[in-house]
Amino acid sequence: MKEEAQEDVFSDRLDLKLWGRVFRHALPYRRLLIPLAISAVVIALCDASFALVTRWSVDSVVGKTEVNLWPPIAVYTGLTFMLAIGVWTFINSAGGLSNNMSHDIREECFKRLQELEFAYFDHRPTGWLISRLTSDCDKLARIIAWGSLDLLWAVCLVVVIAVILIVLHPVLGLLVLSVVPPLVVISAIFQKKLLLSSRETRKYNSMITAAFAEALQGLRTSKSLVREKQNLQEFQGLSSQMYGVSIQNAMQSAVYIPIVLTLGSIAAGIALWRGGVDVRSGGMSVGTLVAFIFYAGQFFNPINQIAQVLVNMQGAQAAGERVLSLLATTPGISDSDAVKARLTEWNRPGRPAELAIDGYPDKIEAIDFDHVDFAYTTGEPVLSGFNLTVSSGQTIALVGASGGGKSTIVNLAARFYEPTGGRILVNGQDLRDRSLDWYQSNLGIVLQGPHLFSGTIRENIRYGRLEATDEEVEAAARSVNADGFIRAMENGYETDVGEGGNRLSTGQKQLVSFARALLANPRIFIMDEATSSIDTETEQLIQNGLKAIFHGRISFVVAHRLSTIRTADRILVIEKGRILESGNHDDLMVAKGHYYLLYTRQFEAENEASLIDTLANG
Amino acid sequence: MSNRSTSDPDSTLQPIKLLWKLMSGFRAYYGRAIFALFVFTLINYATPLVGSATLDSAFSKSAPESPLTRQLIAWMGGAEFIRNHLWFPALLMIGLTLLAGFFSFLKGRFAAMASDGIARKVKDQLYDHLQRLPAKYHDRAETGDLIQRCTSDVETLRMALSSQVVDISNALLLLISAVPIMFLLDARMALISFTLVGPIILYGYFYIGRVKHLFLEVDEAEGQVTRVVQENLTGLRVVRAFARQEFEMKKFAEPNKLYRDRSLRLLRLMSWYWSTSDLIVLAQQGLVLLSGAWFISQGSLTVGTLFAFIMFLNILLWPVRQMGRTLTDLGKSAVALTRMGEILSEPEESKPPGNCVPDGPAKGRIEVKDLVFSHGEETAAINGISFTVEPGQTLAILGPSGSGKSTLMHLLLRLYDYQSGSIQFDDRELKDLDRQWVRSQFSVVMQEPFLYSKTIGENIRLGREGAANEEIQEAARLADIHDTIRGFPSDYSTLVGERGVTLSGGQRQRVALARALLRETPVLLLDDALSAVDAETEATILQALRQRHGKRTTLVIAHRLSTLSHADRVVVLEHGKVIQQGTHEELVVQEGLYRRLWTIQNAVKAEVELSTGDQSPIHPISR
Repeated sequence: MKEEAQEDVFSDRLDLKLWGRVFRHALPYRRLLIPLAISAVVIALCDASFALVTRWSVDSVVGKTEVNLWPPIAVYTGLTFMLAIGVWTFINSAGGLSNNMSHDIREECFKRLQELEFAYFDHRPTGWLISRLTSDCDKLARIIAWGSLDLLWAVCLVVVIAVILIVLHPVLGLLVLSVVPPLVVISAIFQKKLLLSSRETRKYNSMITAAFAEALQGLRTSKSLVREKQNLQEFQGLSSQMYGVSIQNAMQSAVYIPIVLTLGSIAAGIALWRGGVDVRSGGMSVGTLVAFIFYAGQFFNPINQIAQVLVNMQGAQAAGERVLSLLATTPGISDSDAVKARLTEWNRPGRPAELAIDGYPDKIEAIDFDHVDFAYTTGEPVLSGFNLTVSSGQTIALVGASGGGKSTIVNLAARFYEPTGGRILVNGQDLRDRSLDWYQSNLGIVLQGPHLFSGTIRENIRYGRLEATDEEVEAAARSVNADGFIRAMENGYETDVGEGGNRLSTGQKQLVSFARALLANPRIFIMDEATSSIDTETEQLIQNGLKAIFHGRISFVVAHRLSTIRTADRILVIEKGRILESGNHDDLMVAKGHYYLLYTRQFEAENEASLIDTLANG
Repeated sequence: MSNRSTSDPDSTLQPIKLLWKLMSGFRAYYGRAIFALFVFTLINYATPLVGSATLDSAFSKSAPESPLTRQLIAWMGGAEFIRNHLWFPALLMIGLTLLAGFFSFLKGRFAAMASDGIARKVKDQLYDHLQRLPAKYHDRAETGDLIQRCTSDVETLRMALSSQVVDISNALLLLISAVPIMFLLDARMALISFTLVGPIILYGYFYIGRVKHLFLEVDEAEGQVTRVVQENLTGLRVVRAFARQEFEMKKFAEPNKLYRDRSLRLLRLMSWYWSTSDLIVLAQQGLVLLSGAWFISQGSLTVGTLFAFIMFLNILLWPVRQMGRTLTDLGKSAVALTRMGEILSEPEESKPPGNCVPDGPAKGRIEVKDLVFSHGEETAAINGISFTVEPGQTLAILGPSGSGKSTLMHLLLRLYDYQSGSIQFDDRELKDLDRQWVRSQFSVVMQEPFLYSKTIGENIRLGREGAANEEIQEAARLADIHDTIRGFPSDYSTLVGERGVTLSGGQRQRVALARALLRETPVLLLDDALSAVDAETEATILQALRQRHGKRTTLVIAHRLSTLSHADRVVVLEHGKVIQQGTHEELVVQEGLYRRLWTIQNAVKAEVELSTGDQSPIHPISR
């Protein structure tokens, strides 16, 4: 519903600059613009010509003794085919333009999303971003392609008819044309009303969808609270509101159509009356009169189209702004110019093996947090003046209450965020002076909610190192004890894990993600609450594989489970962005401080849980 | 689309029957809408006739052949009058258009009232019915599928009723009323006018029918694009962690391209359809124009009549062209209707016969005897359980996951019906009591409690409508959530969920507990209700609950010993059976799970001694 609220923006003014920028995305398809423009003009000319052919046919038979209908027949047939070809051309060129444009904009947006830093996503829900990439892109492309076509066609048609009318009979022409301005104004007013009320309907529709979802998810609760009646009453309130706006929308079009039809009929009436007088006095032919009456009714369509396109552009302006601003956002974390320069110099074949793509040594020996400050939102610091030194081969466990800053430290170490003050050093060098791509390729991360991509188990493990062989994939799985459960599955490594890995249990997903991280052979290994959501049995499996993972790397572990914590070289108790206690397990137990309390409480809970689990399993 | 839709022979009749039923109360609106449409059509045809009569009487030397036109001229005051007062037919035309406009408005109004009214009624009915369906039905049904049936399928139906049905009636009425008028005017011209009408309709129907599946394919490709984006965004951290941006770009490019290419393919086919069907329509119009001109030159047709025919075709042909397409769309609506009908025909929760609502509140005695229940699989979830809880007592239920604890709670709430054995509630068999009454005697807190997207205050108030603000705050204090709520941006008026604050698991449990406490029912059921609350807070809450001990019967499912030790009696379940049962004192001396749990704290002590060499006891758990 957050999204809906944002859709509701209606711009009162047409921002031509914005549309110009959107239009730039059409330029690669210039070759489609020419047939598009030509077909719009051709169709408008054909549409305007039919009444002339009628006039011609009538005049060539009324009061004539020598009748030759062949010329009008030939012209009519020609016009018909021209129109059909025009329609074919415009659908293909406008549709081609629109689909290609939305394809390209979508791709650009997706690319940009891959580059933007995490902070960008913190306040933008996934659903919201998805609508930007789907409906917004389609909307913009449609307006640019079909909208400009409609506009061109409509303007041409109106102009051509106006010219014809004035040439045929200046006075009568101007009289008939006098209904055009009110037609334009009325159309614009109603099109805007219709757009707004149909949006309102959509808004209620999504509220009703949410109400159904809530009813189904909360079914047991509603039943146990005996809330059925009140729920229904609330729902009926919603559905009758939707009825109200939907009826309003229908009424608006029910009023709109008769008004414009009447305007057309007034024009036709004027033509019949004033033109009829002229025909009688011999100043005009019957055919011309008939043509005038036809033309009078032909204004409605193009003017309606013009109004609709303009209103839709106003309505879609917000979508345009959102998409363009996404494309214009520069990633907050990216390589500096100096790093880029080094990359162009060094990222090429023939580089000494000990150098990374940015020309500095390809190794990570130590990571230092040097007086690091950090805040997700300005004014609410999470870390201030944080110091920490970790060297290769060390495992650091971070423990403490949630919200204390453990995950933040890990996110900074992964360069998902950048410090707001102070520096992070890698081998004594500022992290910002190294290539982002090189650094992050050296990471192996396992998170609390393991995320897998749809595909097979093998594909998911291989995500860690795309060029790994099947043997290497399986070896990684064996190292973390995932091989057993994988082989027990029906299709082994080729088992489809389903969307988001949903066909596997949380524990299984976690094992796969450990294998994935290990396959990457990272220099820095990060585990963020990775063992907190899994059962004791899986935890035991992982535990046995962890030693292999930690060996020879820098590891950061945010953990609950005692077994994981105990193996760490150093345990940091973090609270409110500060290190409260630091040391190995034995030191901290003796100290009898915060760690001691945390440990004993956790020990009790884990034992109770595992005892009950043992009972379940045997 | 639907994978459940039935395929028996009379399935095509069922949607129509259902529709007729749903239309009750709105049929009159439809009648009016169709009547208005009919009048509108007639007036629409009359307007060109006025033009035709005028042309013929003002500019034609010979009198018109058609009796209809002659009659019309007579009505309009005779040829002489028209010739000298041309403003009169002009005004008449405008007047007729106004009148037609009025009826068009009426048609729109009544059609909208009918279709939106039916849509509203269907939605209300579906909502009501879904709430009344047994929990068993909802276990099987997929939420996403149900939501789709209740929203997009209803929308499909609404569209069908408001535009497709009206469009088709419009086209049919236009055709039917055109026949007599045209034949009265000129039989030859009428025949010529209808030459291509049949082909136009059939062409649309069959062409769209052939490419219909492509529309679905395009939708499907769009769905793939959405899925890839969604997966990429939810897995953002994984993508970054392995620096796999380029790989993801390639993964996205594929469905993005597929979506574009499928759309383009559909477009190409549709461009053929639109251009060729335009061609047919224009050919029909040309045929009338030119043969009419020929007849005029032969002196057997007047200009006015030709004018009328051209106008008629203009009115008639475009809606008729749309008809083929609309007819194929109607097929979709029948499917939607069937899918809705499937929900509505599911039986509701049964109601016991006779007097099933006792007077006054229950005392809260529960006696379970040889209870057996199975969800339908081979092993029964509950397999012969017996125990008794006296009013005001607290019973703790302990057991590993899958041992049947939650199922027992559901049976007590009559969410499911047990197969054999008995549950006596205050000496009456639970099965013979009204479900709603039973539920109103219980308060429940589940492990993953559901909160409504209302404010926190409203959520708690759901426990008892009409509770005063002080009572709500009191309940929140008891559940140890009052201070947390105070800290929220709008206090008790803070919205829960997407549009407001996101509560942690422990906070949700405590809000649900406050809701349950406010209810003040004879029985309180806590289904692992404090599992996400930290130990200290849990102790505070239990302390508060204990003060109310004796007021109501309480059943607690728990994992932590600290929770269990507050109970009067403890039942240990395993595989749907009671394996141990008794008071704390009895169980502590028995060999078994309870005793092993109880000794854990000694193990804690030992472990700590091992690490620190210290003897002092820590964190004792006591009653």
